[in-house]
Amino acid sequence: MYTSALPLIIVLLGVFLLARLTGDPTSLYLPESATEAQREAFAQKNGFDRPLLTQLGDYFSGVLHLDFGTSLRTGESASEMAFRAFPATLQLAGTTMLLAVVGAVVIGCWAAYRPNSLADRFSSLLSMTGASIPDFWFAITGVWLFAVLLGVLPTSGTDGPLAWILPIATLMIRPLGVLTQVVRGAMVSALSAPYVRLARSKGAGDLRVVTHHALRNAAAPALTVAGDLAVGLINGAVVVEAIFGWPGIGKLMIDAILQRDFAVLQAAVLLTAVSIFVLNIAIDACYALLDARVREPARV
Amino acid sequence: MSPASPMPRSSRSRAALVIGVAVLTVAATGCTVANSGRGGYDPNTLRIVLSQEPPTLEPCESSLTSTGIVVRSNITEPLIERDPNSGDLQPLLSTGWRQTSPTEWTFDIRTGVTFSNGAPFTSADAAFAVDRAVNSDLQCNVDGYVFGDEKLKLATPNDTTLTVTTEKPDPILPLRISFVEIVPRSTSTAEKVREPIGTGPYAIEDWDFGQKLTLARNPRYWGTAPAFARAEYQWRSEGSVRAAMITNDETDVATSLGPEDGAGDLGVPFQNNETTALRIQATEAPLNDMRVRQAINYAINRTGIVKALFRGLGDPASQLIPSGVVGYNDQLPLWPHDTDKAKALVAEAKADGVPVDTQIRLIGRTAQFPKIAETIEVIQSELAEIGLNVKIEMMDTASQLQYQLRPFPANAGPYLLMIQHGNQAGDAAFTMDQYMLSDGPQADYGTKQFDDKIRAAEALTGQARQDAFARLFAEEPQEIMQMAYLAHMKGILGKSARVDYTPNSATGDEMRLSEMTTAGSDRTDAQ
Repeated sequence: MYTSALPLIIVLLGVFLLARLTGDPTSLYLPESATEAQREAFAQKNGFDRPLLTQLGDYFSGVLHLDFGTSLRTGESASEMAFRAFPATLQLAGTTMLLAVVGAVVIGCWAAYRPNSLADRFSSLLSMTGASIPDFWFAITGVWLFAVLLGVLPTSGTDGPLAWILPIATLMIRPLGVLTQVVRGAMVSALSAPYVRLARSKGAGDLRVVTHHALRNAAAPALTVAGDLAVGLINGAVVVEAIFGWPGIGKLMIDAILQRDFAVLQAAVLLTAVSIFVLNIAIDACYALLDARVREPARV
Repeated sequence: MSPASPMPRSSRSRAALVIGVAVLTVAATGCTVANSGRGGYDPNTLRIVLSQEPPTLEPCESSLTSTGIVVRSNITEPLIERDPNSGDLQPLLSTGWRQTSPTEWTFDIRTGVTFSNGAPFTSADAAFAVDRAVNSDLQCNVDGYVFGDEKLKLATPNDTTLTVTTEKPDPILPLRISFVEIVPRSTSTAEKVREPIGTGPYAIEDWDFGQKLTLARNPRYWGTAPAFARAEYQWRSEGSVRAAMITNDETDVATSLGPEDGAGDLGVPFQNNETTALRIQATEAPLNDMRVRQAINYAINRTGIVKALFRGLGDPASQLIPSGVVGYNDQLPLWPHDTDKAKALVAEAKADGVPVDTQIRLIGRTAQFPKIAETIEVIQSELAEIGLNVKIEMMDTASQLQYQLRPFPANAGPYLLMIQHGNQAGDAAFTMDQYMLSDGPQADYGTKQFDDKIRAAEALTGQARQDAFARLFAEEPQEIMQMAYLAHMKGILGKSARVDYTPNSATGDEMRLSEMTTAGSDRTDAQ
């Protein structure tokens, strides 16, 4: 429990200190000709005049009571803003990862089933391209092609199913490329393993060999990589959220950094840190589900 | 590795469960983002996309562009409004005003006006709103920007009369008052409000934070009802996406577009209030030498930058205010571009012991205006060519503001700061106070003599005021030279064919929805 909480405490400490290193928010929030007295009043009202250790103590005390303070920018509760933005990111990240995993498994298995075939080379090219394309370029090009030129998709926004396609495609392209490569590599190894030959000798069909024997053993490395990629998405798909006007946690964090809105930044970082913590537990659980050696302690 | 056994029945059930949960995850989203509303085209709704979401709709913060563009003259109204084309003051919630003593102005309050919540508007509300914005501890932006340290005394002899008393004679008080948006007496004075009540043609219907803001026609509006029943604001930070929304018929108005964003024929260029310039930190060597400051001015090819980088969307500038602002000097020529002369001045200064090799920081704010990065690079190259050692530093807004606003960072060394100044008020006093007074909030350097001239000009009215300010803009480069002016900027407003609206110099700060009308539709999918 203590070891699990330590990374969270380090994250809290890090974001608190780094946020304050970025500078004083006073100039952003006060009128241009604010007097020294007005500046002091602003600092006093928001606690910036107190010693850093006192501010840190107040912050940790607030965290324990789930009180992150008030946004300098909007005057709203920082935790409410973070909780409001987070589901949008989760929806986007969850759907993206689900589709990326399904796509990677299908393409990776297909490519691994006939290594060095035309299909394999095509899937490798596709996945390498996907893993290399900058998401910003892909997003803008996608808007231009599918919204402006062809007029089949909306440019941005969140209204209706069609609005999901470009953001998800932009987010998915890199995880899909990376995961396809991982699945293919793991499947090539698995399909040449002795147990697969044994299964074939017992008369198992191709589909059964791939889905029931090889894939299950190839899933562990793919799960590891998928976990890492999912963490990146939960952290906030900043570029996608900014371009497509997606009201998620990544955009909220970037805005909070630019506006020196410390309370919101701290709340958003803690929320994502906790989520990643939970995600890692879920991934560990998946390992156990996939591999009996993880599930059951070794017997000597 | 041992072979995995064929999947038993329990494992199959588990796999089916996992797939079911996954499908449910997607289905549960319903392809609707949390907190989002459903869109759809409604011919009675005006759709607007901004570059950023307003952080607040607090009326006393309406000097902030992102707030003012939504609030001003839409949700709330001032007593007086300024005609952006002529610069003249026009009656709004005040039907007339006059100077009743050197330090007192009297305003006649319009009758028959009610706030959108049904409360009647009287002089007491006007007094309350001015007092709240100017005299309170709310630290309103309009207080600092428009009134400075000035405190006002307010009195309401009756329901239709407001008197405002100043500490010193203020010939442009009505202009200052035009910046105060009127709110009812029920508005909090202890804290700023996010969703105000006003007398404007629209009222807030719904603010789905992070998603969209919807205004609905105010049924109690005292004036002519606006053409559109509703106005729906969205925001996209990427200019090319805003332009694409216009060309894709997803919005009717898109603000803050750049020449390369791709709005095509739907992008309407207009003169805005903004002027770009380099502020020279003239208190640090080598910038404390007049010859070096002159050399910087000679080195910059303003005409080339406007033509090549801004694609002609702007005019080379010789002063910090554009035409149309009281005090603009239409006789002031551009500072000439003469690289040889600049080199000679730097060499002369160097020969006299001025440390011209000292590294000078050239500070810019990321995304402050289109092509700022390229502009900064061109200027750095031009200054290097004349023998100055210039290093580029691009910063975000908060970091750049530390160099723009007093108190400036200590031991920052010599630096040139790219600024963009918008004179929303239409009077040079607002520019002079900020940038030309030796202790101005955004000025680094000046002299007492020049300060006295500014104060003297500010006390004048009419043509004398115009002439005095115009003279000061001609004298500043000779006496102070704290600036290297770059360009009077132009903005691009994306506008669909179905909306009739002509952007003006105030559009970037105050976009009056009541001026937008339908202009026939080119749509093919109107429902």
